[in-house]
Amino acid sequence: MAAEAKLSHTAAMILQAISVGYVYGFSIMEVTGLPSGTVYPAMRRLERDDLIRSQWERQSIADAEQRPPRKYYKLTTAGRTTLDASRKRYPLLERLMPTEEARSV
Amino acid sequence: MKSPSDVAFSALQRTALHTASLLVPAAERQDWRCEWLSELWHVRSSYLRLDDTLSLQSQSEITWFCLGAFSDALCVRELATASGHPRSHMHGSAAQPLLWLAAILLLCFLITSLLPGVRAEREAAQFLVNPNALIISEAADHSWKPSIPAGLYLNWKYTHQRFFQDLAFYHVSRETAHAGSARILWNVARSSLNLFSLLGVPLKQAFDDNSGLPSVVLSNETWIRSFAGDPSVTGKVVRIGNSNARIAGVAPAAAWQLPGAPDVWLLQSDTQIATDLPYKTRGFLVAQLSERGLDAMQQSGDSISAHNLEDMLIDLSATPISAPVEGPWNLYGFALFLALVALPAVSSVSLGETQMTNHRISSREGLRRFCFLGGKFILVAGIGLFASFDIAYCYTASFSPAAECLQLVSCFAICLFGFRWALADQRHRCPVCLRRVTNPASVGLASRTFLGWNGTEMICMGGHTLLHVPALPTSWFSDQRWLYLDSSWQFLFADPGIY
Repeated sequence: MAAEAKLSHTAAMILQAISVGYVYGFSIMEVTGLPSGTVYPAMRRLERDDLIRSQWERQSIADAEQRPPRKYYKLTTAGRTTLDASRKRYPLLERLMPTEEARSV
Repeated sequence: MKSPSDVAFSALQRTALHTASLLVPAAERQDWRCEWLSELWHVRSSYLRLDDTLSLQSQSEITWFCLGAFSDALCVRELATASGHPRSHMHGSAAQPLLWLAAILLLCFLITSLLPGVRAEREAAQFLVNPNALIISEAADHSWKPSIPAGLYLNWKYTHQRFFQDLAFYHVSRETAHAGSARILWNVARSSLNLFSLLGVPLKQAFDDNSGLPSVVLSNETWIRSFAGDPSVTGKVVRIGNSNARIAGVAPAAAWQLPGAPDVWLLQSDTQIATDLPYKTRGFLVAQLSERGLDAMQQSGDSISAHNLEDMLIDLSATPISAPVEGPWNLYGFALFLALVALPAVSSVSLGETQMTNHRISSREGLRRFCFLGGKFILVAGIGLFASFDIAYCYTASFSPAAECLQLVSCFAICLFGFRWALADQRHRCPVCLRRVTNPASVGLASRTFLGWNGTEMICMGGHTLLHVPALPTSWFSDQRWLYLDSSWQFLFADPGIY
């Protein structure tokens, strides 16, 4: 619960971005407008607090698309709970990154 | 096909990411490097989707993205430190004393760079007076009393002399001077123009004056005391007595102190000296002896004879002006040498190694241990140098033999006790990880030394070694001993792999 109370707006934006489908560091940067020096450390902290989990995509997928494999992030159960609490605190979060748009990407 | 600028930018961006990854703790470095490089590929792809050839603006935005990796890396490093055991890691670690010593060294160096006396000592060793320049006085008088009349100087200067190659004269009197709005009382030496060329001492901030005003040279002490060491002081006009003079330079702080302790030298032509000073006014005579004069002095024990104004023979004695100056580096080298020679008298130079164990530390560990000890010695020696300057010159702004003596003594003391500490510290550091052994435990009873062993045992918190220090050295247990712990001990240590 302490983590929920202390979640900054930046962290809440990142959780919201991941929850709506922006699961890569750069795509989170693009959608939130946050610089690289902010997004990755924030994600590292969220990962440390077990709010998100990272995973490397399989090499075969990357090879098929002739690109390097990418690390993607997804919310944990605790992260989802924290995000729900944060939406009450920051009601505009959902309007900043609507789910429909993300799904169409 | 990539353009040359794209290749260059790509190389720059990848280099930035690789460099940033060096800041990340080793365990996570590879993972972060892969993530950044992967993201870079996608960032470039997204820009290329908009524009076939990346514009300068796109390249700079991509580069800014890469530079953000430095911020990421620092943050990751900070998080790793916070989640680790920084205090237990640092406590007693090899880095701790080195950092402390480096901090003290830096502090001492900064203080030294602010002390004017240290500069004065350097100058004293740098600007030595011409060794053939001597103070000539009547044999009956001391060399620091004015004994040669101005008339006699002029007479000798303009007649052929057997013993003197060149002569300079000055007369010191207390006079009021005005520098700006300040009114100061100075010891003014009215001296002949050739005084400084005869002494062989170059002036600092020398100023060529064509205005026709007489030139005045400040002593280093006066320059610091009355003008706060202002480097632009030369060329300014000061009023000495009833006439104006222009400051032509500053005499370097030197080991020599001309008799009469002048604050300033007012350089005057011989004609002006003849006009200003009565013939019988006594002053100081500085002479450079000819070869014949030097021979005569050696034969007659530092005295020569010359005719006075009444054409009578008078005995003259010659006193060297320059005092022997050791210079800061010579003194430091001597103090360091003395400290190293005296070290075995105040501490055992043994590092507590014993031949009674089969365990041998690897050459890498041995080299690391030696470098650590050497590093401490070098830092202590550096602190000895700068701290001795600080001690010797914290109260005096000018060179003095007393300050030199204080420097020698303090440098010797700091180096000696610093080296002693370095050895004692080394003896209590685990040979494997260089961490200080801790948790001392008394073992045995002093009353049972004959049958058993008593002393103190300390353990390395990394789980590498146990140190036995005998309370009473005996013929069979005189020095401390290291017991190297094998892997069966590791379960006792919470964090055995910290090193």
